[in-house]
Amino acid sequence: MSFLKSFPPPGPAEGLLRQQPDTEAVLNGKGLGTGTLYIAESRLSWLDGSGLGFSLEYPTISLHALSRDRSDCLGEHLYVMVNAKFEESKEPVADEEEEDSDDDVEPITEFRFVPSDKSALEAMFTAMCECQALHPDPEDEDSDDYDGEEYDVEAHDGMEVDTTPTVAGQFEDADVDH
Amino acid sequence: MLFYSFFKSLVGKDVVVELKNDLSICGTLHSVDQYLNIKLTDISVTDPEKYPHMNCFIRGSVVRYVQLPADEVDTQLLQDAARKEALQQKQ
Repeated sequence: MSFLKSFPPPGPAEGLLRQQPDTEAVLNGKGLGTGTLYIAESRLSWLDGSGLGFSLEYPTISLHALSRDRSDCLGEHLYVMVNAKFEESKEPVADEEEEDSDDDVEPITEFRFVPSDKSALEAMFTAMCECQALHPDPEDEDSDDYDGEEYDVEAHDGMEVDTTPTVAGQFEDADVDH
Repeated sequence: MLFYSFFKSLVGKDVVVELKNDLSICGTLHSVDQYLNIKLTDISVTDPEKYPHMNCFIRGSVVRYVQLPADEVDTQLLQDAARKEALQQKQ
């Protein structure tokens, strides 16, 4: 797998929330072997026994899910859908030879992480939820005004709270009509 | 914030979330956060070749549409509230 590379396992500096050893990684249906999954605040990483692995950035993770389908040959596992392309073949793929021509379609890569300890799945899912919440999309223009603070629309209903700076005496010459 | 509050009021209802990559997921709305990240339970994928899962977390930024049961939504009220919020944002 050409995209596998060697890097040191994430630690406290990366905000490691959970590491799950003895976890098989499957990419688009192809097994990558058994290794350790690291769920850190900065990124999601997996490393096999020889120190080779890959990392996924949370903004590229479209969704993650717990698969409880026991009839699945993999058994219960953590499913992760990534909005990125991962090359599986060892030869570099030239873009012109791609028959998919999915320029307009967003790339989808499916990862499955299958821990030998199935009881850990719930905690793995929850850890990933927490980390995803730490990486909101910065391009959302609707949330420019909020920066994460709660704004209760109902609380201001009927109250004209003047929070914007106004010129002193702005309304002094307005008709007193009420 | 309006739609965060709106989706909070729909927790427990069955919805269909259509993603920007065309995948549609049907499930029960479990929770939503301020970024409109969505958690669904008892999910099934409306596209037949995908596997069914039980619990999933969908990143808010990849959601294209959320299909809602029509009788759960007062569209007039929602329109009015959205208009009001848009005006308040401009101030």
